[in-house]
Parts: sequence; structure tokens; C-alpha cells
Amino acid sequence: MAGKVTAIMNRKNLNRTQMLVLTSMIFAAALVLAVVENMLPPLPVPVPGVKFGLSNIAVMYALFFLGKKQAYAIGILKSVFVFITRGGIAGLLSITGGILSITVMILLMAIFKDKITYLVISIFGAVSHNIGQFIVITVIYTGMNMWAYFPVLLISGLAAGIVTSTLLRFIMPAFNRLA
Amino acid sequence: MKFYKRTDIAVILCILAVSAVSWGVYNYFFTGSQVRAEIYYYSELVETVDLAEGKDTTFSIPQDRNVIFHQYPDGSIAFVESDCPDKVCIHAGRQKTAGQFAACLPNGIVLKIVPEKEAGGEDADIVI
Repeated sequence: MAGKVTAIMNRKNLNRTQMLVLTSMIFAAALVLAVVENMLPPLPVPVPGVKFGLSNIAVMYALFFLGKKQAYAIGILKSVFVFITRGGIAGLLSITGGILSITVMILLMAIFKDKITYLVISIFGAVSHNIGQFIVITVIYTGMNMWAYFPVLLISGLAAGIVTSTLLRFIMPAFNRLA
Repeated sequence: MKFYKRTDIAVILCILAVSAVSWGVYNYFFTGSQVRAEIYYYSELVETVDLAEGKDTTFSIPQDRNVIFHQYPDGSIAFVESDCPDKVCIHAGRQKTAGQFAACLPNGIVLKIVPEKEAGGEDADIVI
């Protein structure tokens, strides 16, 4: 049993079925995190739609330990889920924010390799998620004055990045036990 | 990769500094007294409200009678009632300064504060 755990930790040993199942379970975890987050009371911040993005914990885990394709798959499927449950615009926001966020995190990991920490990657992921959503809103509705909400974007992304990376650190043992 | 390094604090401070600077830029350029509110319905301008008049009224746009706005005497305007599930628009509160906006996305309504005078090119709405 211990041999199997270490084999799955070293993901190169996974066959396609094992990877598929593991990715699906992480995707399910992402959905559960999103549902739980919706149940929390709304933050008393004077900006619409600021949230922690707890489901990004699962996406980040997928990116760090499963692979780029798996992370993108989870991000896209999550957006489809949002599209089905909350409507077209929410789905569009989710997919642009998600894809931009994952791409930025991949770039950071490629450029900095080991010199960067999970915390910084998480922060930039959250901030770029917010920026992606904001760009969508600017494009769909008439041109908005972005400067008004740029500080809020940055700070909420910063806070969300800190929260999600800390939670990821605590949840890691549980994720690993999925194997 | 580690989870956290001391140098991360520098990154966080940088981000805070950038947000402080852009907040300062926003306040310096865009805070003025002459503003009006524009209400858009699916990107089409349907109503303009001059906030300098200091009226105190409750109204809604003819396209959607379920969303109600309130204009306050201190020159601000807010969503007060809406039939959307999340009520994000109402939580946004009172809008007062040029550049602020609130939106009820499920209903396609956007409330935008613009300066009274179209100030040349500096007041750019960034259209991507």
C-alpha cells in the first residue's frame, strides 16, 4: 500500500486511467469548495462579486502535482459547471478568469522554477483571475473606468492568494491521502 | 518549491504599493463635484440622472420595473431593490464619484457615474 502511495505521488508512474480518476476527484473537490464558498456570508466590501475563490485550491493542487493539462481541464470543467448553474455571463467570467489565472501561474513556474514560492504563485493566480473577469465585464458592457477598481482587484487578489495558499498547505495531507 | 519565503513580504508590499498608487491616481484625477449617473440596459444608455441637483427620489427604468434605484440628496445613487438572486448590485451601495459603477448582471443593468463635462482625452474610459 505504501508502494502504491509513493507511486502515485510520483505522477509519472500513473497510467492514464489513474490520472483520469485522480483528476476527476480533484475536480469534484473543486466543485465542493465552490459550493461551500457560496454558503458563506457575503463580504462587507463595497465592490460586487469579491470572493475568496476557494475552488482555486483544487486547481492549484492540480497544477502543482498533476500537470498542466489536468489543471486546464479542471478549470474549463469548472466553468462549464458555473455556466450550467449560474448562467452565461457567470460562466464566461469563470472561464476567462480561470484560464488567465492558470496560464499566469504556469508562466511564473516556468520563469522562476524553484526560486518562487507557492504563496506568490497563488497571489498572482488570484489577481490575474480578478483581472480576467474585469476585462470580460469591460468588454461586454460599455467601457468602464478601470482605475476606480484596480486597487480593489489587487488587494482582494492578494488576500485571496494568501488564504488559498495557506489552506492548500493545510489540506495537502488530505489530498495526498486520496491516493 | 517552498510555501513561503521571507522575500515574499517584499512582493506583497509591492502589490500594496501599486494599489495605493493607483488609488491615489484615481482620487486625484476623478474626484469632482459635477457628476451624473448613467443607467445602461444591456449596453444601451436608457437614463441619465444629474446627481448635482440633490433630489431624493426612488425610480426604476421602464425596461425593467423590478429593479429600483434611489437618488439621495447628497448626490449619490444606489440600487435599492432587485429581483436578482445574489443582490450584488444592492451590496455595492451608494455610487457617488466619477468612475464608480454598480451592476446587476443578471438583469443587464449597469449604473455608471461619469463627470458632467466630457474632459478631453484625459478622462479615458479604457475600452479594450
